[in-house]
Amino acid sequence: MTRRGRAVLTVLKKELVDALRDRRTLMTVLASSVLMGPLVLMAISGLVASLEASAEQREVYVAGLAHAPTLRNFLERQTYTVKEAPADYELQLRKATFSDPVVVVPDDFEAALVRGEAPVVEIVSDGANQRAEASTGRIERLLGAFGRERVTLALALRGVSVQLLEPIEVEERDLASTQTRATRITGMLPYFVMIAMLYGALNAALDTTAGERERGSLEPLLMNPPERWALVAGKWGAVACVSMLIAVLSCFSFLPGQWVLRSDTLAAMFQYGLREALLFVVVLVPLAAALSAALMAVAIRCKTFKEAQASATVVVLAVSLLPLVSVFNLGGESPWHLWVPALAQNMLMTRVLKGEALGGVDLAIPIGVCVVVTAAGIAFVARSLRQAALK
Amino acid sequence: MIEVRSVAKAFTASSAKAPGWAGALRRAASRTTVHAVRDVSFHAPAGAITGLLGPNGAGKTTTLRMLGALVKPDAGSLEVDGIDVARRPREILARLGMLSDARGLYPRLTARENIAYYGALQGMVPDAADARAHDLARMFDMVPLLDRRTEGFSQGERMKTALARALVHDPANIVLDEPTNGLDVLATRALRESLRWLRTPEGGSKCIVFSTHIMQEVERLCDSVVVVAHGRTVASGTVEELLAQTGEHDFEEAFVRLAFDPEQAS
Repeated sequence: MTRRGRAVLTVLKKELVDALRDRRTLMTVLASSVLMGPLVLMAISGLVASLEASAEQREVYVAGLAHAPTLRNFLERQTYTVKEAPADYELQLRKATFSDPVVVVPDDFEAALVRGEAPVVEIVSDGANQRAEASTGRIERLLGAFGRERVTLALALRGVSVQLLEPIEVEERDLASTQTRATRITGMLPYFVMIAMLYGALNAALDTTAGERERGSLEPLLMNPPERWALVAGKWGAVACVSMLIAVLSCFSFLPGQWVLRSDTLAAMFQYGLREALLFVVVLVPLAAALSAALMAVAIRCKTFKEAQASATVVVLAVSLLPLVSVFNLGGESPWHLWVPALAQNMLMTRVLKGEALGGVDLAIPIGVCVVVTAAGIAFVARSLRQAALK
Repeated sequence: MIEVRSVAKAFTASSAKAPGWAGALRRAASRTTVHAVRDVSFHAPAGAITGLLGPNGAGKTTTLRMLGALVKPDAGSLEVDGIDVARRPREILARLGMLSDARGLYPRLTARENIAYYGALQGMVPDAADARAHDLARMFDMVPLLDRRTEGFSQGERMKTALARALVHDPANIVLDEPTNGLDVLATRALRESLRWLRTPEGGSKCIVFSTHIMQEVERLCDSVVVVAHGRTVASGTVEELLAQTGEHDFEEAFVRLAFDPEQAS
């Protein structure tokens, strides 16, 4: 091996040992990145399972049930269980302790119905009560069906064809595959993985640059024969290794995470196997390299670790906010998304989750961008090193 | 052997410290040139301790940084063992053991690892670096410290570790920038003993350059003294020669006359 290669390896080894001995920080980052997969999946599956349960229960809560035998008859014919709503349903809905919307029937419901006076039936829910809101649509369709049945019967008695009432027929056709539909729920996973990776790199990147300045160990380090770029390359290698380790761990944490899925539907939709995990890693590794270099470039200009943490917020914020471009879905996926780090990776990982194929160009552009960012970052740090050691 | 010939170095600095954009303009407007080193020359032979004596801000640290290729001189030249620092800085660094003003250690590494890291950077194989770390630890009386993490080391323990780290590759030239800063009497004495030994043929006849602002140290240790003030070499010779030159009996008086003479300040 060449002298330069040996120098890079020496620095890399030392920085890795140094980073791995920072147990408390490392454990916090590792625990949060490894536990994150199962935790996020558990939270999502809990929500989906409770939605499914309330749909399966086929229950309707009605206030003033005694005034509406016709409605009760209709609902029971649709195989729904009709229940009297608790007296304080408004309060309970507001506190989110009651998770079904309530149908409120007026006292003179039957009489008004017979007279054709269109009695007002309220569906009471709370916009902030997510689970109650989720069932509102179902109840609305149910009451609509009740209304249509009444109309049909009334017209049929008068000899009018039902088809007159429905000049057009509406049918829904969903083009999304099961996996695509699942990404509406699992779409935030790539985001979580990227954030975990970023925080994994953050500490190591700051410690090898601003931390080295703060300790006063940078000047003596530069009094050694290796070239500056070799020192920086070694440091960068160590930071990138830590960051990639976190990325790999959090990608694979979703594999056992699937076992805790409580919802069968979600388990069927969320197809995340070894292939997906490996594709995630392929997408993330170049980003880990680029982020490590970018963080080091930001931190080398800072005299203390604390100052560097403040400056690094810019990078953290960029990585946290860029993927939101696609979450907000501003104009859908655009070709330029592939040229923006973090946004591109988010897009590619979402595609993996959707079960779509990744093209060679789609992978090559983000990797190319990451290589350029990495090289620029390393060059900048190497150039700033001498100035940084003196001040 | 170290040869420094008429080096000079000026920095641009700004007196305004205001932050932000408005501050940047003000800083640019108030930019002034500070002549850290105007004209420093000295010759440090092998097998001798040369003291670089001067008040704070005289330009000692900047001169030594130029020797370590960390600062490029505006004028003049520096040579180590006949090699020009400006032309072949990497070779110089292999022949130089530099204990600079900043001597931070890696707190999560043990003293041995701190020393061995620099050995590896100097191109030593791990076994050789480790053996050398042990020898140096014996010399500086720090064997029990070797396998402790440097986190929580005392000033003296840190200094010993930093010195051992600087000497791991057994350099022929040793440059120490204010090594006794923050050391107690016993640690200072131990350091003095070590340096005296390094000067002897058994110790390797090292060329030792030692910068300080404490004249007692110079009196006790140095074979020759270079007095630096206001960025210039104002006098050089043995302690006796400097006393004779100023006509004083007390070295402190001689130093004050040499370093703070108003004529020299211009």
